[in-house]
Amino acid sequence: MAESSADAPHRLDQADLTRVDDALQQSKEDAYDTVISSPGIPPVAFGAGGPMLKQFDESNQPSRLGSHPTTPPRSVVGIGGKVAKPDYSEAKIVLAMVSGIFDLPHRYERLGSAGWTACEREVLPQQQAHEWLEYDVKVFNVGQLRRSRARIKKQQSGVKVDHTASYFSFDNVQGTRDRDQLAQDSLEMLIHWLKEGGNVGIHDATNSTRERRRKIEERVAKEKGIVVIFLESECDDPAIIAANVALKVSSGDPDYKDMSPESAKQDFLRRIKEYEAVYESITESHLSYLRIKNVGNQVTLCHIHGYLQSRIAFYLMNLHLKPRSIFFSRHGESQYNVEGKIGGDSPLSERGMKYATALPALITDNIGDAPLTVWTSTLQRTIQTAQHLSYNKLTWKSLDELDAGVCDGMTYEEIEQAYPEDFANRDEDKFNYRYRGGESYRDVVVRLEPVIMELERQENILIIGHQAILRCLYAYFHNLPQADLPYIKIPLHTVIKLTPKAYGCDEERYTLPIGAVDTHRPKPRATQPVLPAHQSSREYYGSHV
Amino acid sequence: MVAPLYTTASGLLFHAGKILVVTVGLPARGKTHISRALERYLRWAGVKTQVVSLGDYRRKTLGGAHKLPPDYFAIGEKSPETEALRKKVMEGCEQLIWDHFNGGCQVVIYDANNGTRAQRQTLGQKFDQAGIHVIILESVCNDNKLIERNIRSVKISSPDYRGWDPDKAVDDYYSRIKTRELDYEEVEELTWPFIRIINVGEKIMVNNIRGYLQSRIVFFLMNIHNKYRTIYFARSGHSLIEHSYRADADLSPGGWEYAEKLKDFVVERRRKALAARGLEPKDRRLVIWTSARRRAHHTAWPFIAASDPKTPGGPQLNVKVIEKPQMSEINPGVWDGLTPDQARKYYPEEWDRFVKDPYSFRAPRAESYHDLSVRLEPVLIELERQQEDLLIIGHASVIRCLLAYLIGLPASEIPAIEVARGDLLEVVPASYGVHSQAYHFWDGPGRKHGDEPGTGGNENNFYENYAEDTKGKRRVTVTTEPPAEV
Repeated sequence: MAESSADAPHRLDQADLTRVDDALQQSKEDAYDTVISSPGIPPVAFGAGGPMLKQFDESNQPSRLGSHPTTPPRSVVGIGGKVAKPDYSEAKIVLAMVSGIFDLPHRYERLGSAGWTACEREVLPQQQAHEWLEYDVKVFNVGQLRRSRARIKKQQSGVKVDHTASYFSFDNVQGTRDRDQLAQDSLEMLIHWLKEGGNVGIHDATNSTRERRRKIEERVAKEKGIVVIFLESECDDPAIIAANVALKVSSGDPDYKDMSPESAKQDFLRRIKEYEAVYESITESHLSYLRIKNVGNQVTLCHIHGYLQSRIAFYLMNLHLKPRSIFFSRHGESQYNVEGKIGGDSPLSERGMKYATALPALITDNIGDAPLTVWTSTLQRTIQTAQHLSYNKLTWKSLDELDAGVCDGMTYEEIEQAYPEDFANRDEDKFNYRYRGGESYRDVVVRLEPVIMELERQENILIIGHQAILRCLYAYFHNLPQADLPYIKIPLHTVIKLTPKAYGCDEERYTLPIGAVDTHRPKPRATQPVLPAHQSSREYYGSHV
Repeated sequence: MVAPLYTTASGLLFHAGKILVVTVGLPARGKTHISRALERYLRWAGVKTQVVSLGDYRRKTLGGAHKLPPDYFAIGEKSPETEALRKKVMEGCEQLIWDHFNGGCQVVIYDANNGTRAQRQTLGQKFDQAGIHVIILESVCNDNKLIERNIRSVKISSPDYRGWDPDKAVDDYYSRIKTRELDYEEVEELTWPFIRIINVGEKIMVNNIRGYLQSRIVFFLMNIHNKYRTIYFARSGHSLIEHSYRADADLSPGGWEYAEKLKDFVVERRRKALAARGLEPKDRRLVIWTSARRRAHHTAWPFIAASDPKTPGGPQLNVKVIEKPQMSEINPGVWDGLTPDQARKYYPEEWDRFVKDPYSFRAPRAESYHDLSVRLEPVLIELERQQEDLLIIGHASVIRCLLAYLIGLPASEIPAIEVARGDLLEVVPASYGVHSQAYHFWDGPGRKHGDEPGTGGNENNFYENYAEDTKGKRRVTVTTEPPAEV
């Protein structure tokens, strides 16, 4: 065996090649020998369950010494491994909100997924962590910073700060100065966060004067590699404005906690008037901006460069406000579920078939004769589950289950037995763990992006999907962090109904009394993530300063 | 998600109905570039699309500029004969649009000036009455440099100016623009949905765009540009097990050698190409995309090593390597790791269907080429947007799909495009399409079917998996140069 030293220049070694070829041939024959007993089923070459993969890994050691890269080669053996987060260090964007007469807070909130998580942080309550798909997104809300500072002041001195419309009057010199200061402070926090590794920081202030925009522009220009985009959302359609006022007043906005709805409404309308008086729409032609008028009716994009920027723009153009619901259901219990195997393309079990039969009644009870479209994957267990539903059906290749690569068709016990270390590694960072020849959760999130874009455009949709796929979609709508995503509970024989609301998603679950195996594997030695039980009661802190 | 999930009886996709895109703009505003790019994209997405170019039609029916009456492009009153001639051309184009719609086209792009409101109104109404959605696409350019560049690179090479002195041709063209400017009216009317593109993408305004296909069109237009750049394609190096998707095997010794050669050749080829334009490779970064497969990512390692900032004397190369999980090769599903004989033996029916229609047939748990195209769509948009030079180190199936898009080949031909290992494909986007050329730089294991045994390359270990291997139905039309010297 030619044991080449790492420093020596690489040479083709005929002995290496012959040995690899021999090993390949040998292991092939071995693999076929073991399956001869089951005619009609082809051999699963290179599965982690057979001897072939290990033999192959052991045989090809020398080929890894070929080049001399700066970083050591990644592990080439086993069934998979953690993959480092892709390098997004070049994507650093300040998205500065320019609220017109009315902004639509949820539009950009969804950027960081749907709605905000209910758990508020005590220390910096104005910052909420978001993840837009694979990027890190965070909202820096000036209104919240203002209220939290006022709360601290009240606690310390007992003085209740007046935050009714008179505070927002631009004649109120002290108030104006305070608000400028707050906007600046939150921009500093945002820039700091971007430098620490964030990708998109949303500066959620009003930024409605040229003066403010100039300040932001000048501040960001000092930072190398950070760009600023202004996002202006305008509305002059009376119907949309009225709906928004009602929403703002009735949704438990903390500014109006102790007011009657009617006086809250009056105060809020007055606040808008104050803004209108000084509002300056973006006309600075050198700025990079995106203007959306009347919920996407008119859109202007100016100097939008970069792929992430254009994706943000497309995304915002496709959101809509029509009421609708999204239903998630896993396929009925499959044969593989019963046997404890992962992956595969097995048919439903008897109980799974029962679920498929019972599903149409559950859906009709829920939505009556409203229109609905059913999406399934291309795998037969989802198609079988949808077979009795009499709606328009679409199959999506992108909805197929996470590809377990070499472990496809094995049970967790078998994997653990064959590759104990690799198996344990998966729980270290399940989101970034990629099965050899298969996918990681992050890969699935990337693959699902077009599905999510399409989902945002559609109305009532029922997705009959798979555990990992629905976890990703569910995390998107509830804005759950990446680390918790692979452990979300999506039980079999349960329909999850999500209804997007202005400030989050309402959730209902319907479980059919048809038994099924539990396929959930909790994270070892870790507490379950605290999932928000009821999203719509989440407190929302208005975006106006 | 752009590629069609299903087709309807009418052959129309996305429930979008028929769409007439009417371009508006003065000459040399990039209307043709935009029209052609949009046509290519929509066709790739499976939408039957046709550009009707008034200029082309005029040249075809009346001939080049020298055959026209002298007052055809002139300012002021025209003779009745000239007016009649112009009218004839316009009517001919309209008829052509009707013919395309009647012949099953879903989208027709009318590439003409359409400079007056009255013109647009008349045209729009005619098609609107027939139930066709009309979209106005205005291209405005107020950057004189852009206009001049466009005239010099595209207009004066048109048949209208064959045999002219370039500067004279430019002057003549400017006078043509002047004439048009006199009665040009910017789009202000909101009768139809409209898109305005300013300075080829610097600013875009959109009004009343509805529905999936229309918003896809806008998204696409947001991403195109016409700056000079080059896209290179190369296959990943030969790996230890080519024909298994799951094994995700590493490079073979021959593959490592290939990776080094590829780096040297790309650096040299790029230096020459840039030098011809007076550019320096050091000032222009090369971006490299690979899939997340080991063989592809490891093929980029020599580039990474050469760009190491810790190298004494500074890094040799200015590159950035990005791994894209969407760029994995086509998934062979249950056929993974099988030889053709075994696949045929165990799945005879599927095999027959696959051979008959390799583009749309999907073996159990596998991907069809159509599935692959859908998966690659975000990559493609990113490719359009990319302004830096790009090297894609990929798999045969992935390169086929991307190449088919760039060159404009029909979907059915995608599986048969030959992408040889050891060739570097160079694609330079231009106004009417792309210039592509293949450079052969390497011979070794995995280059040809039936390599000598023992070198790791053979009939069964050639393509990365058998779904990829639909060998040799048709060679892609790229000119191959003799082996270049490195």
